[in-house]
Amino acid sequence: MKDSDSFLITLETPKGERSFTCHRNEFIWNAAAHSGISLPAICHQGRCLTCAGRLLAGTVDQSSSNSYFPEDKQAGFVLLCTGRPCSDLRIRTHEQFFMRQHRTKLGLPAPYS
Amino acid sequence: MSNGVTPVAHGDVTQRVGVEVIRARGVDVDKLIKMLIANAAAEFASTYYYYTILRMHLAGHEDYKEICEDARLEDRAHWELIVPRIYELGGELPNDLPTFHNMAGCAAAKLPDPPTAVNILTLLLESERCAIRSWIAICDMTFGKDPRTYDLASRILNEEIEHEAWFIELLAHERDGKSIPSGHFRRGEPGEAPYSKNRGFYNP
Repeated sequence: MKDSDSFLITLETPKGERSFTCHRNEFIWNAAAHSGISLPAICHQGRCLTCAGRLLAGTVDQSSSNSYFPEDKQAGFVLLCTGRPCSDLRIRTHEQFFMRQHRTKLGLPAPYS
Repeated sequence: MSNGVTPVAHGDVTQRVGVEVIRARGVDVDKLIKMLIANAAAEFASTYYYYTILRMHLAGHEDYKEICEDARLEDRAHWELIVPRIYELGGELPNDLPTFHNMAGCAAAKLPDPPTAVNILTLLLESERCAIRSWIAICDMTFGKDPRTYDLASRILNEEIEHEAWFIELLAHERDGKSIPSGHFRRGEPGEAPYSKNRGFYNP
């Protein structure tokens, strides 16, 4: 059920589109897991980039992420493991390869690259 | 009959049978090397932060200091255990410490603000959890395909799981006044590392 502090999250995954609600204080990855959606992740600290997604619509709070740079936001990348919704969202998942490529190009930390 | 292994010519030192056999079994060796370097960097960083920074700020908690030191020395053992495997697989570490630090797959365990025992123990707990997730990813990737890396990773995983249990026990006590026993805390000399140093371990 969606209340005033919850937002509708729509994920575009390789297996198709999935939707669920997420409270503004909850990490998107955790809410997805609670809805039975399995997404990649390793560190759960906003560090390793395994959970990377591309934000297609909405706003995400990444203040709990260990490594999230203004350049990441500008390029539209989000880290689902430590990202909280500030609005309804549409996100393309499984973007780790592209986010690592983006970080490497800018000389920013890109674990597993 | 072919076993799917790329032939290595007699006397050829540019290829490794030890690599080709695991590649033939489905291991993405390049990816594995990157993951091992990320994990090695995290172990190396934690042995720095745990001791040099965090332990120094646990004044008045001598028992926490000792356990922090055990975890620090065992993380150092993990670093030393896994680095040779990176080279065996054909990888190498960067010749630059800041670059290596930035390759870590887990967050640096920097001193929290304020540096209270509760905040430090919380940080240590979450560091161990990241290590568990990182090493089990290696185990998943190598299980049934690369027994050597799997064996090394599972030894490290054993100790990281014990470290998590220690910090759950300590944090529950310090923060919540609750008893959540680790169930097995027993080390001899500091940094005993019963799994990653291949010593006999306590098993009643």
